Amino acid sequence: MRYAFFVGCTTLARLWGYEVSARKVADHLGVELVDMPGSGCCGTTYLETLDHKTALAIAARNICIAEEMGLDIVAVCNGCTEVLTKANKELKEDPALRADVNEVLKDFGKEFKGTVEVKHFVKMLKEDIGLEKIGSEVNRPLKGLRVGVHYGCHMLKPSDVMMYDDPEVPTSLDELVNATGAQSVAYPNKLECCAGPIMGVREDVTWSVGLEKVENVKKYADIMVTACPFCYLTYERCQLIQETSPNLPIVHYPQLLGLALGISYDELGFEMNKIDTSRLQEFVEEYRGANLNDKTD
Amino acid sequence: MDEKEGIRITKENIDFRRLLMETPGAEKLMRCYQCGVCTADCPVAMRVKEFRPRRIARLAALGQRDRLLGGDTVWLCAGCYTCYERCPEQVRVSEIISALRKLALKEGIIHPTYKALMVSIAEMGYIYEINDFQNEMREDEDLPPAPEPDIDEIESIMRKTGFLDLVEGG
Repeated sequence: MRYAFFVGCTTLARLWGYEVSARKVADHLGVELVDMPGSGCCGTTYLETLDHKTALAIAARNICIAEEMGLDIVAVCNGCTEVLTKANKELKEDPALRADVNEVLKDFGKEFKGTVEVKHFVKMLKEDIGLEKIGSEVNRPLKGLRVGVHYGCHMLKPSDVMMYDDPEVPTSLDELVNATGAQSVAYPNKLECCAGPIMGVREDVTWSVGLEKVENVKKYADIMVTACPFCYLTYERCQLIQETSPNLPIVHYPQLLGLALGISYDELGFEMNKIDTSRLQEFVEEYRGANLNDKTD
Repeated sequence: MDEKEGIRITKENIDFRRLLMETPGAEKLMRCYQCGVCTADCPVAMRVKEFRPRRIARLAALGQRDRLLGGDTVWLCAGCYTCYERCPEQVRVSEIISALRKLALKEGIIHPTYKALMVSIAEMGYIYEINDFQNEMREDEDLPPAPEPDIDEIESIMRKTGFLDLVEGG
């Protein structure tokens, strides 16, 4: 299985723990992620609201690169996934729009043809690898670990574009967490947005939205798991800025899965999570210890 | 917004509404019957009392350009699509707000944060800068160098559509 890997700027520039763990997990599961030379900004959800044609053209130039490679795109950011999926859908379905955007792209030797698909990394895991296969690869089940899952809006919405899971009652990421042996728990306002996108307009609102969710998760879970760099940053930063204690560790989904697959803690980029995740390390060490004891009995 | 001041509909208001409804995403504006599910479920409205999605839909239907484009109102939407999903008439205030931002930009109005983000894309090919420092750090983590975006191409696309000129003028 091969995909064009669209990492996205937030992850490329600062969330190396997410990227490292995604690459390690993919490799472990036999998925080849191929870098996309010349790719750049996805188009962003911000630009989408400002100018339709420009947003489509900026997104389409990345899709063209994947078309040249002959590979479907896998992205790790909810925002990138939404922007690229929407552009891909609109340009495939509307010939007039496609002609318009191709007119912009032709100066750069690019043409949108509509030959590839775009999907989120976790959607790829769920649909192309499958829960059963993932479950069978787990050799260090995270039994007893309680996880508060945060989907992030753009993995699922707008639902008529994303066509993935149920936008009101999603289960896919919970199932992926449960496949690691950990338990995804219910908590209040689970589907609420992180409000990261208005950080630059009303920062105080973002931190208040973020902390409210962190406090909700803390009551029911040991860690929060995200699958979007933007949401991750919001939940991490709101705690650091407001100096809450104790903090709730925020973990990228591939880091969690990597641990369950038996990849060592040190290889999954946890040292780059700014909120201490050592309790996860202790957790897997205790499991190993218990297992060794079992064997000597 | 001055609540005491009544709303008088002028030709300018009607023209603004027409312009808005011609913008993709805002076509169903007049189907809004003010049920308020958008405001009730909005994570921003829960915390910011001046951000009322239902009121935005009403003011838009009345073509109230000045009330809508003055201040931060249209820049406070986080784009979570909750109102988009739950609107019983597919009016989708998130899309009305997007359409309002597009009209604002055509008039040279853009929030300074949005302007800075767009300029970053044109100058660096990304929102976040990825330079030698980041790539050295990436190397330490055994990650390949970040793909080098074709910055000239990205800037030229933004220039060719006329977008970047509008942003820079805003």
